Amino acid sequence: MYDRGWSDGLPLVPPTKERVLRMLEGTSRAGDEIVALMPPNLVECTVEKVAVNSVMAGCRPEYLPVVLAALEAVCTDEFNMHGILATTMGVGPVLLVNGPIATEIGMNSGVNVLGHGNRANATIGRAVQLVVRNVGGGAPGGVDRATHGSMSKLGFCFAEDEEGSPWTTLAEDRGFDRSVDVVTAFCGEGPRILVDQQSRSAESLVRMLAEGLLASVSPRTVMGMDGLLVLSPEHMARFSDAGWDRPRFMEELEKFLMVETDGILAGVGGIEEGLPPALAGLTLPKFRPGGLLVVHAGGPAGLFSAIIGGWVNGQMGSEPTSREIIR
Amino acid sequence: MTEPVTVLDPTSEAAPGQRSLNPRPAELEGLTVGLLDISKPKGAVFLDRLEERLTTQGAMVRRYAKPTFTKPAPVDLRHEIATQCDAVIEALAD
Amino acid sequence: MHDIDDLERRGLPGVFVASEPFAEAAETQARALGLEVARVFVAHPIQDRTDDEMRSLADEALDALTRALTGASAPTQ
Repeated sequence: MYDRGWSDGLPLVPPTKERVLRMLEGTSRAGDEIVALMPPNLVECTVEKVAVNSVMAGCRPEYLPVVLAALEAVCTDEFNMHGILATTMGVGPVLLVNGPIATEIGMNSGVNVLGHGNRANATIGRAVQLVVRNVGGGAPGGVDRATHGSMSKLGFCFAEDEEGSPWTTLAEDRGFDRSVDVVTAFCGEGPRILVDQQSRSAESLVRMLAEGLLASVSPRTVMGMDGLLVLSPEHMARFSDAGWDRPRFMEELEKFLMVETDGILAGVGGIEEGLPPALAGLTLPKFRPGGLLVVHAGGPAGLFSAIIGGWVNGQMGSEPTSREIIR
Repeated sequence: MTEPVTVLDPTSEAAPGQRSLNPRPAELEGLTVGLLDISKPKGAVFLDRLEERLTTQGAMVRRYAKPTFTKPAPVDLRHEIATQCDAVIEALAD
Repeated sequence: MHDIDDLERRGLPGVFVASEPFAEAAETQARALGLEVARVFVAHPIQDRTDDEMRSLADEALDALTRALTGASAPTQ
């Protein structure tokens, strides 16, 4: 299977007919139903092809609805999987699962949430990437020319810790009911850790988080790239103890995410990279309105949060895209 | 002895029919050449220069730009180019 | 590549310009499309070039572009 070019580098589960049929039992959808036009070759992808690749990735049948919804999300014009494959920036679809299905299929939203050790987290993202590779034809070295690539290209999927969060969930923030199963695709790099082990107040921590976020992608980008912030439970506690809900947190955070353009113009500080002179004298937000997504996940101990930098946003690039998961 | 394992094909199994390029004109003089900018930085400078040179050679040039280099051009833009031009140059992907 | 493929389908001779590191990607895409899309590659990098350098690149590419759009058969460079 390696020699046929089907693998991402890791071993694959052989997709025998029996395994694929069992996988298809995970969805109520027909095997010949078209899920999406798969970039970059823009070919029709059926539920059965998704099942074959999900077997290879190591998924259990009950994960299949999440894989299908994730593929529907990434194959939209807004999400722009085509452009994400072709860009030299090392970004890929970061998949976040909300709703009861996350717990039911055993997804991890706690210890090591962005790391290893959980079958659902590890294989759902991988299955999505294998479909793009095998059905769409988007393999590294071919159409995928990423300079460095990142783990988000291998498969990056996790669940929000909804139970432990005093806030509304990301899916709720995006207009879904809490009882609905939703996958949200964000185009992003791998996570970076932001350390703050000393802030005891919400006022201090929000400033520190902002300082970290200002460097997301590059300290010299404003509004053009989105971000995803994963707040750990211990960091979340600083805000819930202070009585801040999600809107209050966002309001406070945004105050410290304003950037004086004069400090990041091309040439300032002896650095040729930067904003054009026409943007001098302005104060602009680091993220466009709605361009920073915030979720709650991680183990109970650790005064860190994680930042996942994005890619070109909006019409020019990729919009975070949510889809309901149909079982 | 282990039984051979039969696996299902995870690929699209789509084998595109091989097509040929359209016939080329003998020369560009007197023809309308569309210059399609994919909208990456610096591409416009490259195309400005091509426009100058092609015009000097007697071709007529029409300029187009797609909204973003990250996606295929919108269908109405492709239609416009196809109906207004005799040949097209797209630049510049890097 | 998709754009030129589509324009060729619409009857237009077309050629695509990219920088050299994208030759392999273009080849993969051409294979998938089933059309040997005419393409010309210029020296990488592009993003940090001066305008003068970009004009020189255009001058250097002009012959290959003209060849790709004219004559009995379109060469791929």
